[in-house]
Amino acid sequence: MVSESDLILEAEGLYHVYESKAEDGNVVALRGLHVKVKEGEAVAVVGPSGSGKSTLLKCLGGLMKASAGSVSLDGKNMTRLTGKELVHLRQKTVSFIFQEGNLLPNLSALDNVAQPLRHQGVAPHTAKNKALELLTKLKVEHRSKALPKMLSGGEQQRVAVARALITEPRLILADEPTGSLDPVTSREVLNLFKKLHEKEKVAFLLVTHSKEVAAFADRSLELRDGRFVAQHGSGVNVEDLSADRELIVDEMGTVTLPPDILVQMGGPGRYTVSDLDLGKLHLAGDAVEKIGRMVLVDKCPACQHQYEDMDTSECPSCGSSRPMIEVFD
Amino acid sequence: MSFRQRLRDLPDNLRLAGLSAWRGRERGLAVVAGVFLASLVITTVLAYGVGLSQIFFAESLENEPFDAKIEFSDKPGNNITGRTNDTQIMVNVCSELMERPEIADCSLVFGRQGIHGKGFFNRDFIAAQPLEIKSVTSINGTWQNYDGIYPELLDGGPPISNRRSVRLLGPGAFDGELAERLSKNIINGEGSWPTPEQANSTRAVIIPASVANQANAEVGDVLESITFSVTTDRADITDGLDEDDCQGKLEAAENEFQYCKINMIVTNLTIHGIYEEWDIGNPTLAPNPFFITWTALEDAQRKVLFDNDHVYLGVAIDRTMMPTQSTSEAEDWLEALGTDIESQNYTESGIELFYFDIVGGTITFLNIFLGLIQAFDYIIMIPIVVLSLAVLIYGLVLSLEQRRREIAIHRVIGASSERLRGMILLELAVMSSIAWFAGYLLALNLVPLVLDAVGFMEFRPGEFKVNPTLGWVSTLVTLLATIGLALIFGRGRTRRFLDIEIDEGVRRTTVKREPRVWLHWVMFLIGCLALLESWLESSKVMEDGILTNFFIDGLVLIFGPFLLWIGGALLLARLGALGPKFAEFFFGRTRLLKDVRRGLKGSGSAESVNQLATIMLLTLSIVTLAAVQGYTGTLVDERTASAEVGADLSVTMTVRMNESEMRTFLLGVVSEDSAVEVERNMEMTSVPSILVRENSSNDQIQAFVVLESAEDVLHWDEQAIPGTDIDDVLSDIQSGGFTAGEDAAYDLGLWGSGRRGSDDSSDILLDSGDERSEKLEFVYLELEPINSEDEQQLDLEQMLEDYPFQNNWEGVDSKNENWSERDFGLTNMFGTTWDNVSLAGANLSGSVISNSTFKDVDLTGADLTNTVIAFSQFENVTMDGADLTGMFGFINLSDFSLNGATCPNGLPFGSTSCAVSQIPPPLVATLLGSNTDISYNVTKHEFTSRYLGVHFWIPGQSTSTLNPAIIIGESTWHELVGNDSANNIVSATWYFDLGSFAHDSDGDDLRALRATLEADPMVVSASDWSTAHREVERDGGLIFGTPGLLSLQFVVASVAAVASSFVFLSLVLTQRQKELAILQAIGASPNQIIRLVLFEIIAIVAMSMILGIILGIGLAMSFNGFFSIFGFIFQIFGGSSTPIERELIWPWTQLALVSAAVFAAVLIALLVTTRRTLKADLASVLKGE
Repeated sequence: MVSESDLILEAEGLYHVYESKAEDGNVVALRGLHVKVKEGEAVAVVGPSGSGKSTLLKCLGGLMKASAGSVSLDGKNMTRLTGKELVHLRQKTVSFIFQEGNLLPNLSALDNVAQPLRHQGVAPHTAKNKALELLTKLKVEHRSKALPKMLSGGEQQRVAVARALITEPRLILADEPTGSLDPVTSREVLNLFKKLHEKEKVAFLLVTHSKEVAAFADRSLELRDGRFVAQHGSGVNVEDLSADRELIVDEMGTVTLPPDILVQMGGPGRYTVSDLDLGKLHLAGDAVEKIGRMVLVDKCPACQHQYEDMDTSECPSCGSSRPMIEVFD
Repeated sequence: MSFRQRLRDLPDNLRLAGLSAWRGRERGLAVVAGVFLASLVITTVLAYGVGLSQIFFAESLENEPFDAKIEFSDKPGNNITGRTNDTQIMVNVCSELMERPEIADCSLVFGRQGIHGKGFFNRDFIAAQPLEIKSVTSINGTWQNYDGIYPELLDGGPPISNRRSVRLLGPGAFDGELAERLSKNIINGEGSWPTPEQANSTRAVIIPASVANQANAEVGDVLESITFSVTTDRADITDGLDEDDCQGKLEAAENEFQYCKINMIVTNLTIHGIYEEWDIGNPTLAPNPFFITWTALEDAQRKVLFDNDHVYLGVAIDRTMMPTQSTSEAEDWLEALGTDIESQNYTESGIELFYFDIVGGTITFLNIFLGLIQAFDYIIMIPIVVLSLAVLIYGLVLSLEQRRREIAIHRVIGASSERLRGMILLELAVMSSIAWFAGYLLALNLVPLVLDAVGFMEFRPGEFKVNPTLGWVSTLVTLLATIGLALIFGRGRTRRFLDIEIDEGVRRTTVKREPRVWLHWVMFLIGCLALLESWLESSKVMEDGILTNFFIDGLVLIFGPFLLWIGGALLLARLGALGPKFAEFFFGRTRLLKDVRRGLKGSGSAESVNQLATIMLLTLSIVTLAAVQGYTGTLVDERTASAEVGADLSVTMTVRMNESEMRTFLLGVVSEDSAVEVERNMEMTSVPSILVRENSSNDQIQAFVVLESAEDVLHWDEQAIPGTDIDDVLSDIQSGGFTAGEDAAYDLGLWGSGRRGSDDSSDILLDSGDERSEKLEFVYLELEPINSEDEQQLDLEQMLEDYPFQNNWEGVDSKNENWSERDFGLTNMFGTTWDNVSLAGANLSGSVISNSTFKDVDLTGADLTNTVIAFSQFENVTMDGADLTGMFGFINLSDFSLNGATCPNGLPFGSTSCAVSQIPPPLVATLLGSNTDISYNVTKHEFTSRYLGVHFWIPGQSTSTLNPAIIIGESTWHELVGNDSANNIVSATWYFDLGSFAHDSDGDDLRALRATLEADPMVVSASDWSTAHREVERDGGLIFGTPGLLSLQFVVASVAAVASSFVFLSLVLTQRQKELAILQAIGASPNQIIRLVLFEIIAIVAMSMILGIILGIGLAMSFNGFFSIFGFIFQIFGGSSTPIERELIWPWTQLALVSAAVFAAVLIALLVTTRRTLKADLASVLKGE
């Protein structure tokens, strides 16, 4: 067990519900999550779309109040802080990086980078010097006067990174940080992250689909339907999560089986615990329902396009994604 | 954050705020537009007040050439120091005063007594007497009748004196600034203001035009003597003066003082000039006196004047040094000057002075009047101020919505909500400061133009330069009302906005506040009540309307229009937002909308769309209101001038002239340069009248004749005639019909007088088939006076010429005037009109009254001995206590109230039946031969005429004159009076159409011609359209400068309509970018999207525009009551009244143009923004949250 003081981020029993007036009612994005990030640790969150990754990130960063549960940043419970204290805490500890640069459109690159320090009340001159320093470090100093719309995607992201670093954060929350970057740039950004991680001991919590990013992390958490189902060690292969998966059993005793495991087990049903020991659980029984085989549909549900023998995952006619259906042999 | 930190960061924060304001200018445009508009309008209204007071001030300064009356500090008496009775010392005081830079000119003046105290309510102010003229003798002119009475003095101010006065001026007044001011009013061609040498050598006197006219005086005439009174002593009338102590005559005056006055005579003076009289303004100095050089006085006389306090220094201030920015500054400056002058002694004799400020008194009066005008003008500017604030607030809301993403980013990078608010407000402050400054500057430059407006969208440079600036208090007001308001609203909105963002995770949906519809309804309904009330009262359906309580009625009429406007706009905006539904209903099944109608279904609910509809409604209703009221006001002014003057020019002569004589006379007066042009264009006419009687009735009715030439020469008004088609009415009259005034119609039992019930009062022209168009038979008795003895026809004209008249009042039209105690002895009163006039106690002895009308005339106690009266109409005339001894002629005395009167036979009324004498009075008898007995040859003419409806006036004649009269055509008249008389019309009053001459050089030529005519002794009075128009512009149908404000309102609202449609549409569409992108993403073609957007927005805009114009029409109608109330107040102040009713004029062309412009702007804005939206990268639009 790590000691509490070493934790830079800790969330317990995190629930988040999006209220909606739609017929199918509210959407539960997070269902009682527990997560701990140690100082200087890099953690990746992987999982399919819609599993709640972005919501998790916002709740953890204090951008959004979770419906229930607590988030502690640097040992301080954010749910109990006032707006002002919260901002203050965030300023000192955490920075965000998004898939898009999310730069302020009306400010130059330099002003964008300097802005977080200005929000902290640092003198304009000091802030700008430091910003220029960072831009130089990230090799975009020649674009410091340019407005975001004049920058390329890579440049934008580097400016965004510079902006995240200027406050010397102890934790960086990144949402698909290389999602919109070409491989070369994304490698550069990752190298930068690595350097920060190794030399400056900056902690990372990265939401990603990318193999490289996930590989950079010390460990990866697998998120499904608002719940962490498993953890992977460093160098996780996001394309085959079953490889080094460790299932998570939380304090409440909840365990969620990823679909591939469920299929292999033969589907939902009643199982008896046949062999139980420390660190060991054996289930045996009959599946109530037979789980069929998952195959791609042969007709687009949106535009009725016939896929014929094609193997694409996207409809060539209307662009909607091609769902899978269960087939019983 | 500490203060020092803030200060340190301020430059950079400002830089960032400025940058982001500039880079995000599109979304800030609405805010900028709102602040700019508000600043423009508020500054204009405030600066307009300043400019107005500058103009009024400058103009009122022109009313009196002297700016101050500097007197001795103390009244004469024993042991008084600081006085002198040496002329030379006072001349030296003048020179000493002129060393001060503020004093431009100074002259010693003998005139009104000293006042020695301040304020209008100072007793001395009323008690001090001028040098009153008693009599003038001359071998020229008719001075023997001139008695110096100047009755207007008592009407125009406190009861100081009722006589014309003399002012004896020193050489200082004949050169320099004073001479310049005094010479300004000398009528062109009527002499000049003398130089000191001329004044001295000719013993010059300069007299006012009306006196010159009255006494037939001309420049160069020598006046043997002028006798005036010098007041030597006075006491309260209750105390009384001892007759033995008075060397002169004791006189009790209307001001409740008793005076002892001695006569003083100056002799052998020459008239050096005749001047146009100033308005009777400030009563400090006796206005419009005879100006005489005091070198005409003997030394002893001067001493007497000194001893009786009839001396002062007339001073001209260097007006360029006086602050004219505001009246209060001027007042302070003047007061300081006065105190400074009073604090010193002058010359070696130690003269002490008292400074009586004439300008300051003018200011006091001005402030009251201006306060009223400004209150009115502020009120009419309320809609546009509200509009600009609405634009500001809506703009603010929309621009904040646009910043959602930016604010989210700031939050992510660690901005606290305080700091975010600070940033937003700073940016807002930067934008609105610039907008405020631009509006402020523009307004200050615009105000002179606004003040130059003489009609709606018509401008003419005024006489006076205005340079309106605002004091710092007013500037602060404009700042607070614009930037301050923007920041306050911005703050509130930002806070709410930030709260929403922070809580977003918990509560996705925010509760929208329901608008208080019930409040809107209440406002709207009260407004509708005002509209109904205004309409009822103006259309005469119900004289008093529904609300009979005067106070509540007034309140509703004043505030109702505003409630109607705001309530109506808010309610109708909801209807306007339903536009797409209507579009769908009408076009839903056509090819235009068939494929996109589902898209239309969901629209119309968005807040921003509602706001766009509201703004459209507000702007277009203001445009409509301003245009309608502006045009109406302008036309009312013009119509009033036309009704008053009747034609381009009307001239009343002292003698009756025929057409060719009159033509020759006028062309003789016109300057040589324009004589050719005038002769080529001139058309003329007169309005003769005869007395007729309806066959079955005994009452005579005056019948006015519309000559064929009068159709074109006179400025007819559709309100003057029955119905609205002038040509139809005139041609019906010329083909034998007649119209009747309301009273005449009542007497004759005709339809249209209200006699036959309530539905009997429509203003329509009856056509020949109409049963209400009765045919009446009239009788005209042609009377030829003959000598009964030799049956010879008497030449009445000749008789009148031989009659020893001393006054000529032929053709005079007197209305609402007080001529009591006036001497009208031996006066020619042929063809006169007297309406609501007091002649109580007047002397009419031996006068000849013929072909005249007397209505509501008070002749109580009048001297009517040996008066000759014939062919005249009397209505409601009182002759109680009058002396009628020897009255002769044709008049039925049984109609009059004669209590205590003496009958023509010399016996008191009651003891005998009073009837006019059959024996001609001595003067007539000598003309007729000693024992002539007059009788008349009576020829009876009968004619039948068809009744056409009720008329109200003939241009140039008053409504009250025409009320009891009928109007007949030239052909009818021809048959009655015969071709000889008809072809040789003789009249004292003639009307002229002068073609382009009347309009060239903006009417300057016409006004100059009128001034020359007025000074001519042959002319009784002359009036011209241009002067009359300028007068009514100031205090007639609309109030001075208001056309300018309405023009401003029109322009600003039009521009606001176009601009806000641009700004708001682009904002609305940017908001909907995502929606449109989704539509595109699911396969809608650009064409379909454009059609969808076009139809939706255009439906809303078009609907709102139509509703806006309808609302504006309602508003204009309900504002009419409000305008009437203020018009009424101003007419009381201005003293003029107009027969013209405020009938609304609908300037459809202008409205259509503005609407088209707005519509075009909307279309362009739509196409541009929609295209841009369509071009945008779908993916990035959809992705960006």
